[in-house]
Amino acid sequence: MNNSLQKKHGFSYARYGYYFSIPFILAFLIFNLYPTLYTVVLGFTDSKGLGNITFHILKDDPWKNFRAILKAPTFILSLKNTFVLWILNFIPQITLALILTAWFTSRRNKIKGQGFFKVVFYMPNIITAASVAVLFNALFGYPKGPVNDLLVNMGLRDSTTYFMNSASTTRGIVAFIQFWMWYGYTMIILVSGVLGINPEIYEAAEIDGANDRQIFFQITIPNLRTILTYTLITSLIGGLSMYDIPKMLNNGNPNNSTLTATMFIYNQSFQGSYMYARGAAASMILFLIIAALSAVVFFLMRDRK
Amino acid sequence: MSSLERRDGNPAVRALIYIVCIFLAVLSIFPFVVMFINSTRSTFEIQQQAVSLIPSTHLMENFKVFNGKSFNPTTGFINSLIVAVGATVLTVYFSTLTAYALVAYRWKMRNAMFTFILCVMMIPGIVTSIGMYQFMYRIHLTNNLLSLILPAVYAPQAVFFFRQFMLASLPLELLDSARIDGSKEFYTFNHIAMPIMKPAMATQGIFAFVYTWNSLFMPSILLTRDNMKTMPVMVSMLKGDIYKREYGAIYLGLSLTVLPLFIVYFALSKYIIAGVALGGVKG
Amino acid sequence: MKKRLALLMALVMVFSLCCFSAPAAFADGKTVINVMSFTDEVPNMINRYVETHPDFADKYEINTTIIATTDGLYQPALDQALASGGADAPDLYCAEAAFILKYAQGDMAQYAAAYEDLGIDVDAEIEAAQIAPYSVEIGTRPSDGKVVGLGYQATGGAFIYRRSIAKDVFGSDDPAVVGEAIGAGTQSWDKFFEAAAALKEKGYAIVSGDGDIWHAIENSSDQGWIVDGKLNIDPKREAFLDLSKQLKDNGYHNDTQDWTEAWYADMAGIGEKPVFGFYGPAWLINYVMAGNSGGSAPGEGTYGDWAVCPSNVGFFWGGTWLLANKDTTKAEAVAEIIKWITLDATEDGLQYGWANGTWSGEQGTKDTVASGAVMAVSNGELDFLGGQNMFEAFVPANEYANGSNLTQYDETINNYWRDAVRQYTSGELSRDDAINAFKTNVADNLDVEVDF
Repeated sequence: MNNSLQKKHGFSYARYGYYFSIPFILAFLIFNLYPTLYTVVLGFTDSKGLGNITFHILKDDPWKNFRAILKAPTFILSLKNTFVLWILNFIPQITLALILTAWFTSRRNKIKGQGFFKVVFYMPNIITAASVAVLFNALFGYPKGPVNDLLVNMGLRDSTTYFMNSASTTRGIVAFIQFWMWYGYTMIILVSGVLGINPEIYEAAEIDGANDRQIFFQITIPNLRTILTYTLITSLIGGLSMYDIPKMLNNGNPNNSTLTATMFIYNQSFQGSYMYARGAAASMILFLIIAALSAVVFFLMRDRK
Repeated sequence: MSSLERRDGNPAVRALIYIVCIFLAVLSIFPFVVMFINSTRSTFEIQQQAVSLIPSTHLMENFKVFNGKSFNPTTGFINSLIVAVGATVLTVYFSTLTAYALVAYRWKMRNAMFTFILCVMMIPGIVTSIGMYQFMYRIHLTNNLLSLILPAVYAPQAVFFFRQFMLASLPLELLDSARIDGSKEFYTFNHIAMPIMKPAMATQGIFAFVYTWNSLFMPSILLTRDNMKTMPVMVSMLKGDIYKREYGAIYLGLSLTVLPLFIVYFALSKYIIAGVALGGVKG
Repeated sequence: MKKRLALLMALVMVFSLCCFSAPAAFADGKTVINVMSFTDEVPNMINRYVETHPDFADKYEINTTIIATTDGLYQPALDQALASGGADAPDLYCAEAAFILKYAQGDMAQYAAAYEDLGIDVDAEIEAAQIAPYSVEIGTRPSDGKVVGLGYQATGGAFIYRRSIAKDVFGSDDPAVVGEAIGAGTQSWDKFFEAAAALKEKGYAIVSGDGDIWHAIENSSDQGWIVDGKLNIDPKREAFLDLSKQLKDNGYHNDTQDWTEAWYADMAGIGEKPVFGFYGPAWLINYVMAGNSGGSAPGEGTYGDWAVCPSNVGFFWGGTWLLANKDTTKAEAVAEIIKWITLDATEDGLQYGWANGTWSGEQGTKDTVASGAVMAVSNGELDFLGGQNMFEAFVPANEYANGSNLTQYDETINNYWRDAVRQYTSGELSRDDAINAFKTNVADNLDVEVDF
């Protein structure tokens, strides 16, 4: 940053950094500090069942819950599933979002109706996950459902397919829904990032005779770096916390093939034995994984200038 | 200048672009069509064929189901609107302010604050909801719309977005020249920085509005009196009984929930479409 | 600037503190009864009670909290409210069949008041009203053997079959003949499979999918999923693997899932093969089958072509139980409501209207109720069943159902089991692998010991 005035008066202005952060910090302290600390403490207790408010810190063996979680094959499987589902939806999602961004921000090749398209592509994101899950369950119904009817009538398959009973098709459907719900969101963020780039940079490039491809890769992408970091980090966090679609579509079935880490945590905490302590321990493990991966992303996307 | 060089590109490529876009648009609109059509169909019609493109005649019957199910669309709409507008305004304004603190000033704790914001963003929310619920219950913050609005001041993801956006698009020189002109810091933020942030604020505004409008978990726990419930909570009440779900009414409820979102979304969408050029910024 | 910001924050804080709602205080001096439920069914009943009992309405005010179970929120909210106690705690709360065990017999049973302690002469009243035994068993707390929960609906299950298909295959649509053919009362599936083979020869499926026989199988086992803290796979439940496989491999069903399009289609008789029957309680007829029969009067669709006979295996499916908080300070009023809903066998009680379909107007749906005494004097004739009195089959079905092989984790464990069975039936997993997958799920997700 080349900012002489800031340096000169650095001291006198710095305090505004603190002032302007106060509301955020206050809201955190009031509404989020207690729940967060409570969760951390819970991970080291024997808390179980909301009915029993009393619980004890595990003094003899504080890591008991963490060990139990890491030893559970279901948790390891749920982590694997989470990665598979995230990769399956994120790669096509960011690719399509970038392509659309390139199309819609091209200064030479104006797409007619692009305003309409931009608006419409975000729409899958405004329906609740529960409604989306109901819709896709109906579409892929077995032995009777629109997709099955279509495939059989078109002669693509001889008999109806039980989509939701096969690991690969169920994963494919979950990944597709995630992709379909979020590519528009990602595109809007990227487009807003491009709109924030100083137009003079583009004008200069055009005068230099750069073509669309060169402009996109050599001007748009580098100038979009901070926003791309945001997209990668938030998708990583969102993807690794994936919950409602796999939960509501098929409850993690068949054979736990779409059970995600957050669903596992939910099942520990809010189902059957209500093992909050274990759920809290699993949450902390998931937090560490997300934090480590985010650090990697930040490192890769750092400003190399 | 460059306008003379503008060309419309390869027609085949253009055709491909339109085909892809139209296909994606159909995929986007399809679920809404199904939802609206199903709200005119009876529960049994829906059970026999869940997806149909032919409207039926049961709209009024579905509407009548609301009466027996404590579903009051007007009350729900007003409550949802208060919560969503309140939370959106707080999220957008205070997140921009926090991000501005992180970008425009150099202070000792700046990096620590940013790392802190990133960390709290990564905390899986599922289990903390137990603590959140206990907390709200103990301080008797139930059946009060403020309990859903005030926490919106804290929105780490939005802060992160605004920070990244400002890093790329907020010229610090502009702030310096404002200072030279004698502008106070808070005034500079409100009258110089915020206008530049408009496209970003509109984007986050839409996301925050949609998120709050659709949120179900905290509202269902916190709002238990009929006259306090928001639209999604009322719809979830319709689903209450697995043995005799009123699917027609559920779809009507979902349609009524999504319609206001349409309006807000289209009203704000001009910022998504056009953005606001960085007027008057000279590097 | 700094001051203005601080002032703004202070104002926001004060404003929000003022709006923190205090516990509901009613100005007119009435005592508040807190009710917590997952649908408006019970709250509506209570409102009716208040409307029709002015003395009661003068003294009490009902404060209802309804949280739907569908999104998994009802139980955490109820648990928290019960555990925290105080003036906001529910005096009266409801539990559904899927989770009643937790509140009547399991971890949360400590918060329930024994009906007896509320001043209800519960044993005598149960006897007089002839309450279905399974319902009492479920509502009885094992630690002290006292009744803490009862319902208003009885959900004992029977076999609901198509008359026309019965005539074609078994030569008669008489419930006695069909009951004989499927082995009514034998607690076994042998006759059922003989019947399935006979039906298949004429191109019929005996049931729609394997989910249809699951409730019967679940309820027929001698022991529940958990015995002495350990997972126990009862041989009768384990047999579901093989029965389900047999149904599938022999083409005895249409391979549907319950609550999906194809399942509903079989009620209208428009599925792949015509389906002979469904296992279910009376509510299945009223709330699901009648509407999905493709008609609303005899002769239209399958409407009127159905009849009910006793099941080969006794079972129940669903139901709601009412419980009271042990710390309630309004025992008298709570007892009054509970009695009116669950034990009153007179024509003024809730159940009489419920059984005769007069509860919500003259054209309402008739349903089976907890009290056998009420059903004995009620009219259960349905056009949908070709005029048959459904109570003939459902009163014995309520006697036949078993309430002693359930555990508080059943909802979760059943989900794992049914997925494992689907995996085996469809050939994705071997029998051993399916059982192992099931055991792993239980071991990892519940506080239950599992032997591998």
